[in-house]
Amino acid sequence: MNEQMALEPIGKNEYELFFGPAHPGSGNFSVKLKVDGERIISARADPGYLHRGFEKLMEYRLPIQNAVLSDRICIFEALNWNLIHAEAVDELMGIEIPERAKYIRVIMAELSRIQSHIIWYGVFSIGTGFDTGFKMAFGYRDYILDLFEMITGGRVYPTGYICPGGVRRDIPEGSEEKILGVLNKIDEMVKLEMMGNPALLSRVKDIGILKLSDAIRLGATGPVLRASGMKSDVRKNDPYEVYDRFDFEVPVSNEGDAYARYMIGIEEIKQSISIIKQALKELPDGDFVAKEFKKPKLNIKIPEGEVYVRNEISRGEAGMYMVSDGGTTPYRVKIRGPSFLHMIPVLEFLLRGSQIADVPAIYWSLNICPADLDR
Amino acid sequence: MRDLESENELLEDISARFDTDGWVQRERRVWVKVSKENLISMCKYLKETGFEHLSAISVTDWLKDGEFELTYHLWSYERKTLLTIKTRIDRENPIAPSVSPIWSRNAQVHEREMHEMFGVEFEGNDDLAPLFLEDWQGPPPFRKDFDWREYARKEYYNKDNEREAVYYE
Amino acid sequence: MKKESPKKRKMKRIIKAIWIFNWFNSCGFAELVPVVGSRWDMERFGMIVTGTPRHADVLFIAGYQTPKSIKRAQRIYEQMPEPKVVIALGSCTMTGGMYWDSYNTIKRLDDYLPVTMYIPGCPPRPEAVFEACAKIFKHVEEMS
Repeated sequence: MNEQMALEPIGKNEYELFFGPAHPGSGNFSVKLKVDGERIISARADPGYLHRGFEKLMEYRLPIQNAVLSDRICIFEALNWNLIHAEAVDELMGIEIPERAKYIRVIMAELSRIQSHIIWYGVFSIGTGFDTGFKMAFGYRDYILDLFEMITGGRVYPTGYICPGGVRRDIPEGSEEKILGVLNKIDEMVKLEMMGNPALLSRVKDIGILKLSDAIRLGATGPVLRASGMKSDVRKNDPYEVYDRFDFEVPVSNEGDAYARYMIGIEEIKQSISIIKQALKELPDGDFVAKEFKKPKLNIKIPEGEVYVRNEISRGEAGMYMVSDGGTTPYRVKIRGPSFLHMIPVLEFLLRGSQIADVPAIYWSLNICPADLDR
Repeated sequence: MRDLESENELLEDISARFDTDGWVQRERRVWVKVSKENLISMCKYLKETGFEHLSAISVTDWLKDGEFELTYHLWSYERKTLLTIKTRIDRENPIAPSVSPIWSRNAQVHEREMHEMFGVEFEGNDDLAPLFLEDWQGPPPFRKDFDWREYARKEYYNKDNEREAVYYE
Repeated sequence: MKKESPKKRKMKRIIKAIWIFNWFNSCGFAELVPVVGSRWDMERFGMIVTGTPRHADVLFIAGYQTPKSIKRAQRIYEQMPEPKVVIALGSCTMTGGMYWDSYNTIKRLDDYLPVTMYIPGCPPRPEAVFEACAKIFKHVEEMS
């Protein structure tokens, strides 16, 4: 294994263990653990392997350039971050988006959410030793990536498809049937998964229990909060785009352990499939981009003001605070990622008192993306 | 477009208790300005009336005014409203009171990041160790007077290399 | 028939299978992992991912590097046994790419590690990764 052990005896059986980035059970994060035998006494998170200073990079670029850069905030849900940036610029400039563009944006965002949950399911399986689940997940995910390539042009990075003003180009002819075909395949995968796997169950049940009062105090959002008992979803409480017109449920559980978070992820895939089907049925005709942006202009001035946009991405609540002082580039952009609070307060809190062997299961059940933590 | 009754009520309630300047931007968004001295008492009151989720803490560097502006974005699950508090502190000597006694580790880790990126001191925060950067000797990176392009040209690129000459234009 | 040196004969036997150690940051993760998955199956060519650098022949560096993470990559490179090969994946890894003006990314990977193969792209397609691995087999043969 690749933990670099610094054997400094602290107590009788205590030592410090560096659970580092090259461990096969972890991602690009590392945690310094104080361990007594097999039990963890305390943990300290050590982020920063991916820090590029994203927020200040956006201050040097025009909004049309930022639209392409914004999908690289977190590769797993590139279209969702594209959407947040586009909403922030639209609200600052006061542009009215045509209806067809709003529906297309919702369809792409939900497809991206399904794809991100499939990755979660895949790496969660590999983290707990269930290799078949991993291979199955990444096989099914490729259907969605083919759809993305057909509509936006890129497999994982959609090249700024959702840009301020609407979307870059219309969905091609015949894509509605293709989308429905892919959704049927994903339905199959979810049915296979819901049958339950006793080996996986015993490894993740009752591990990493987070009570509701702790979850709110430490700032958890998204599936982590819903698994602890609070029914809250930004799409229902603070609706954006056209989410208030769709009929979908928000799955909640009262257990708060790793298994509950994992089952909520699977349930959300089903709800996303239902939203996409409703959106495809109601898709109106019309323009796909606002009138002001029909002929692309480079140096548009952003009016003075500030705005805070909140969206629900697959990991939790994402926010973007944008300030403009009347120039062509934004003056300050603050990106709030859900993984920032899930890794530092929540993970350190959950690791106290658990065993070393459970660290991958707890980490992957929180669904942390190191890129939107470090930015 | 529904009427903004609950947002206006919230704004009136806060303005009656504290000396503030506020406005309602649209549904579910209320913005309030407050001075540094009244910040903690206002935050305590807001936490008691239901604003239990601190979404983000951010700092904006107004170089021309010589001030840093701190913004706190608070969300209430019951009222379903986002309230943003803005306050200004001096840029040469940036000291602000910490809200970690009120919102616990959530606020503490946000302030730790702002301390590293802007150099703001938060009194009452017990852990302001560097978070992302290892062995960083330069100035706080996100301040407006630290030009990144100049830094990258000096530190990383070489003008004589023909492939990299394009970065010097 | 030209007499082959004993070392070359030994190399030809070894390079039937290559073991890879992945050192991926962000972007590399999402494009390298499907290469191992069921659609673009890498195992049929004899390439397996291992968990420890002591068993690996190839170090795959994918994704932009920061000063903090390149130090770990160098330590891993030193732990690998000879013969070893480094492959760099993605344009941000090799030249800084889109983050050319960031204060915390590495702009020239050659200054830190001896790279054998470069795969450009943002991100490169899985077919490009295959072509690179096929060329690696030839390179290891010619290295002796």
